[in-house]
Amino acid sequence: MSEIIQTNYLLIGYSVSSWFAAQAIREEDDSGRILAITEDDKAYSRPLLSYVLGNRSKDIAYFGEVVSHNPIEVWWGSSVINLDGVERWAELSDGRKVEFERALIATGAIPVFPPIRGASGEGIFTFTHIDDLERMSAYIHKENIENILVLGGGFIGLKTCEALIELGLNIQLVELAPRLLINMTDEKSSRHLEKALIKEGVDIILEDTVEHFEREGQKLRGCVLKSGRSISCRMAVVAIGVRPNVAWLKGSGVQVDRGILVNRFQETSCPGVFAAGDVTETMNMVTGERSVTAIWPEAVIQGKIAGKNMAGKRDVYPGSLPLNAVEVGETALISAGLVNPPGDDDCEILVCESEGSYQKLVLKENRIVGLVFVKNIEKAGIYIHLLRQRISIDAFRDKLLQPDFGIISLPSNFRKHMVEGAGIEV
Amino acid sequence: MKKIRIQEEFCIGCRLCEINCLVKHSYSGKIIKAFREESPRALPRIRVEEEGYLSFALQCRHCEDAPCVENCMSGAMQRDRETGTVFCDEERCVGCWMCIMSCPLGVIKREQKTRRIASKCDLCGGEGEPVCVAQCPNEALLYE
Repeated sequence: MSEIIQTNYLLIGYSVSSWFAAQAIREEDDSGRILAITEDDKAYSRPLLSYVLGNRSKDIAYFGEVVSHNPIEVWWGSSVINLDGVERWAELSDGRKVEFERALIATGAIPVFPPIRGASGEGIFTFTHIDDLERMSAYIHKENIENILVLGGGFIGLKTCEALIELGLNIQLVELAPRLLINMTDEKSSRHLEKALIKEGVDIILEDTVEHFEREGQKLRGCVLKSGRSISCRMAVVAIGVRPNVAWLKGSGVQVDRGILVNRFQETSCPGVFAAGDVTETMNMVTGERSVTAIWPEAVIQGKIAGKNMAGKRDVYPGSLPLNAVEVGETALISAGLVNPPGDDDCEILVCESEGSYQKLVLKENRIVGLVFVKNIEKAGIYIHLLRQRISIDAFRDKLLQPDFGIISLPSNFRKHMVEGAGIEV
Repeated sequence: MKKIRIQEEFCIGCRLCEINCLVKHSYSGKIIKAFREESPRALPRIRVEEEGYLSFALQCRHCEDAPCVENCMSGAMQRDRETGTVFCDEERCVGCWMCIMSCPLGVIKREQKTRRIASKCDLCGGEGEPVCVAQCPNEALLYE
């Protein structure tokens, strides 16, 4: 009989969602045992991977206060291989069994790797894990890589390009869609990004993809695209997306579609078992559709809500909001919510364009439902706040996107509420 | 913690707070050098907003539940446990702009140093009264 461990709270996976869940649990329950199980050997920040590769950050470890000021019991280098969400136990890779009262599934997402001929062998990488960073860095140096192919012009693909530009590599970026960051951009904002990438020497190939890779023995030699174009490269990064890491949940009783299905309390189909972050499917606050929104801010909010509910309080998740930022050279881009409303949707579009800058707001029923800003990004947070709070823009519609738009443009009782704190009012 | 209190009824929109903030956060700390010799020029971390007769100076509120801290994926944006000040560790900031997206007041800027980093009010390092308050000619900003 193997060892049986008992815990009040079990966190499966120890990254953003689990960090914030642990903090929220601690705020409500200062003595319950919180145990986290993770394959990792330290707390690290996945979005930092590309910045470490590009030498903009020295350290991949995460030092944020949510981790450093909330020490919990973490079993590093271990994983859960079986979960019984009904009987509430988990089996670990080393054979131990953990019985829990509440559990959080926060096992994140894993890269999608399409079956492409010639893909197996040296020189092809995905880039979502600390091991990928070490392997890629080593390979670039060992093989003296000068030309590199990035397959996928989504968020991870572009972050990879940012890093590879800093390393001075020649990049060929191949994207199947007619523009970059397909869900975050419209055509105009994508063109701004493309221009910035071209200025940095990146060769962008849209509406095309890899048909097969070509090898010389084990080594990568290049690839042939669907269009017939040949590309010569000895290294490639495949960044066509991620999917929730849920395969291990077979037989757990936890209901899964593309990701784990959760209710407004981040609770799964098994009472007492919660899920948060990239592994979940949540309701988009703008469209009402269910989707996986694999971004840090969502992992934070979902982790906090899950933790609070795990500790017996009630807190409701407001719905997910896709948002992100990228920067290439001088060109920064921030996008949030619904950027490309479907044609039959009753949306209004406001646009403000000037030299190198582009701002677009998508309005529906007098509320902001989406935006994309290029270059002039610093007030994006105000608009995103109005979106999240579903504030009617009726009273200040004519000020939107004006250069001097600011907190002063908002209704006075709302801005007094924003600039919070006793005696602090504007 | 002490906070900067905004008294909009006293703000005359002179923007001296912006100038003093810029100088305070420049390399030299000297007004002529900061404006004439330093390139790129430092940025003010306070913004005067104006509409008709109304104006006020706005800077980071050092929120209790600061979204910029929670959403900072490098751990650069953090809270000083002693003073409560929210500040950005420029060494650690990678310029991902998650903080800019998260700030409901839009008071975080991109600033070009040796690389681009997030720049915001640091209450002048917590060393007494911030310059915007100290130099305000009409007590439109108070530190209390």
